[in-house]
Amino acid sequence: MFGQSSLGSTSTNRMNDFEVVAPPEDSVSALEFSPATVQQNFLIAGSWDSSVRCWEVEQTGKTVPKSMKTMGGPVLDVCWSDDGTKVFIASEKQVKIWDLASDQQMQVAAHEAPVKTCHWIKSSNYTCLMTGSWDKTLKFWDTRSPNPMLAINLPERCYCADVDYPMAVVGTAGRGLIIYSLENSPTEFKRQESPLKYQHRTISIFRDKKKAPTGYALGSIEGRVGIQYVNPINPKDNFTFKCHRSSGSTGFQDIYAVNDIAFHPIHGTLVTVGSDGTFSFWDKDARTKLKSSETMDQSITKCSFNANGQIFAYAVGYDWSKGHEYFNPTKKPQIFLRSCYEDLKPRTT
Amino acid sequence: MGRKKKKASKPWCWYCNREFDDEKILVQHQKAKHFKCHICHKKLYTGPGLSIHCMQVHKETVDKVPNSLPNRSNIEIEIFGMDGIPAEDLREHERQKNGGKSDSDDEEPAAKKKVEIPLTAPPPMMMPPNMMPPHMMGQYAQYGMMPHMAPMPPFLGPGGIPMMPTHMMPPRPLFPAAMAAATTSAAAAAHAVAAVAQQKPTFPAYSNATISAPPTTNNPNITAPTTSSASASGEAPKSQVVTSTSGVTSKIMHPPEDLSLEELKARRLPLKINSNNLAASSSNRSNNSTPNTSAVTAYSTGLTSATSTSSITTNAANAAATAAAISKAQEVATMAAVVQAQAQAQAQAHAQAQVQAQVQAQVQAQVAQAQAHAVAVQQQQQHQQQQQQQQQKQFEDLNRVVMLQRIQQAQAAAAAVSRPGATAAAAAVGMVKHLSQNTASM
Repeated sequence: MFGQSSLGSTSTNRMNDFEVVAPPEDSVSALEFSPATVQQNFLIAGSWDSSVRCWEVEQTGKTVPKSMKTMGGPVLDVCWSDDGTKVFIASEKQVKIWDLASDQQMQVAAHEAPVKTCHWIKSSNYTCLMTGSWDKTLKFWDTRSPNPMLAINLPERCYCADVDYPMAVVGTAGRGLIIYSLENSPTEFKRQESPLKYQHRTISIFRDKKKAPTGYALGSIEGRVGIQYVNPINPKDNFTFKCHRSSGSTGFQDIYAVNDIAFHPIHGTLVTVGSDGTFSFWDKDARTKLKSSETMDQSITKCSFNANGQIFAYAVGYDWSKGHEYFNPTKKPQIFLRSCYEDLKPRTT
Repeated sequence: MGRKKKKASKPWCWYCNREFDDEKILVQHQKAKHFKCHICHKKLYTGPGLSIHCMQVHKETVDKVPNSLPNRSNIEIEIFGMDGIPAEDLREHERQKNGGKSDSDDEEPAAKKKVEIPLTAPPPMMMPPNMMPPHMMGQYAQYGMMPHMAPMPPFLGPGGIPMMPTHMMPPRPLFPAAMAAATTSAAAAAHAVAAVAQQKPTFPAYSNATISAPPTTNNPNITAPTTSSASASGEAPKSQVVTSTSGVTSKIMHPPEDLSLEELKARRLPLKINSNNLAASSSNRSNNSTPNTSAVTAYSTGLTSATSTSSITTNAANAAATAAAISKAQEVATMAAVVQAQAQAQAQAHAQAQVQAQVQAQVQAQVAQAQAHAVAVQQQQQHQQQQQQQQQKQFEDLNRVVMLQRIQQAQAAAAAVSRPGATAAAAAVGMVKHLSQNTASM
């Protein structure tokens, strides 16, 4: 797509990728490209510095800052509406809608504790916003009304969630895992035993060959990803694999959290980004790794593919994995973009 | 099994008399136990080989085969698996075995039971413990086969899945893995290596085999599924350390608290993410404080259990337990005090910041006022000047008008008095001229 970056690899741009200009001042907590309904590529990043920033990403790799909004507190999640005209921002205990055309924002949802996830649901007979919070509830909002149209109790605090109509999946504290069906109205479909033994951190739904959601990838703090099918034909279909670990050849192995997982919209292959500062491309059907990146200067906190799968964005910044002592406010976060269509092609065998 | 068959088929080690299911395992055992250099741990193939190695490499003599029976320690005799065993010893062994079977089973050395961990016939799983990325996914085929082993108890023993073989003696311990774990870990490691021929379960628990086996606790700080020793206490370990069978120590890069990284970071921003509006802030603070209180309750339950067990032990142990309990309580108190102090410091800092902000606001307001005042004053002055100018102009105009009138009057008077006397006219003209000059000069 856009060719080689004209920048050489600097000390922090280890992969010689395109660096997004004017990044946030604190770690990126949410990173989303605009949906396919929008012709251009817009990138939204929510950050711990309470800002939400929007850039346009041009074909050449150049990023143009378009707009920025400052919230009352750290932003934990963002999502686009299906038509790409509005952005939902989860900041502290509220979710606000940001109309990009009018540059207006308005509150649309609220919880008793910080909202960790927000996802827009578009079905044939309804649209709504799904919000998951540390107050152990999952709420669904018709954005025109101040009260939720539906509230579901979770067994524990919501840590991660994903929506791909008609499926939604939520990972909670205490290794909880619940799958919801969104047809007609959101209902709990089933609870699954977590394939991972450690705290859930990120979850992402994948589709089958017919482009219907069929399972999810779950990442934990223990450098491991579980691939689970909602209805596995064969129990062997479910498996886990280890990732984001140092080699251990010296007798000591460091295990890092998987901070984010994203599936390529076309190829169906996936990427994991880790606390160790690397990203890796995987083919879950061939059960093989496709590529591993160099180690970045800081952890990679979030990643996203653009709508046509040409651009892979990843955000580098401190994720608190070593506690507050290792927080260095002078080390600024960065967001990088790379052309990824070829790298993520599945293994043919 | 009733009749005495000729059981030469079961391989056994000449050096220590142990029996093995398979000659391959026997060879591995010999290499690890008898032909291993005690200096550099290099595994040789034969006794003489070991002797030569030590002489050439370390300049040391080895006269006895390590870990061997006293009558079987001859290093010169070349044994490899079952090859090289002198016929006499073979027969003797047979006799002993058959004779021993009809006798009591107690003569079996405990070590033998431990060793006889017959490995089932799972597909070969040669999995090195630390997977290099390119090969990592190669084990999925093997992982895929793991479900077959799901029904087996996941004993993380030295390297085998213990099963009850049919020919074993009755007093075989129920948990050979546990017994094996009781022996030195070095021996276990050596056994793991020895038994690697058939299987090496790196993380047997971490396969989908244990998806069916629900996890025992909710505690994310559990280390390897069976090594619960690290997290036996109610308090989480400082760093989450997992030790695998192959001896690699792993550490999870995550703070020990049972909270997500976002929650941990949010705790450091007391003003923002925790208390925005008063109504919710109290509930939120209680949410945030629960981790601390749970830690405190963990300590207190730890204390009570300590005191309850002390009643059973001796007085000395009692005193020690209470002393430990006291120190723990002190620790908790200091921790609580530290947390409080921190909270106070933060509150003070916040208050100071507020005060500073207020002062700044006031100063700014004053400055703005002063500026406005100055501007107003300037405007007034300008206005006054304008007024003065206007007044002057008016005066001047008036003067001119008056002068012109006088000139006209004079001219009229001169014209009316044109006949009588040129001098008067001349004087009047002169006067008029003078007047007009004056007017012009004004």
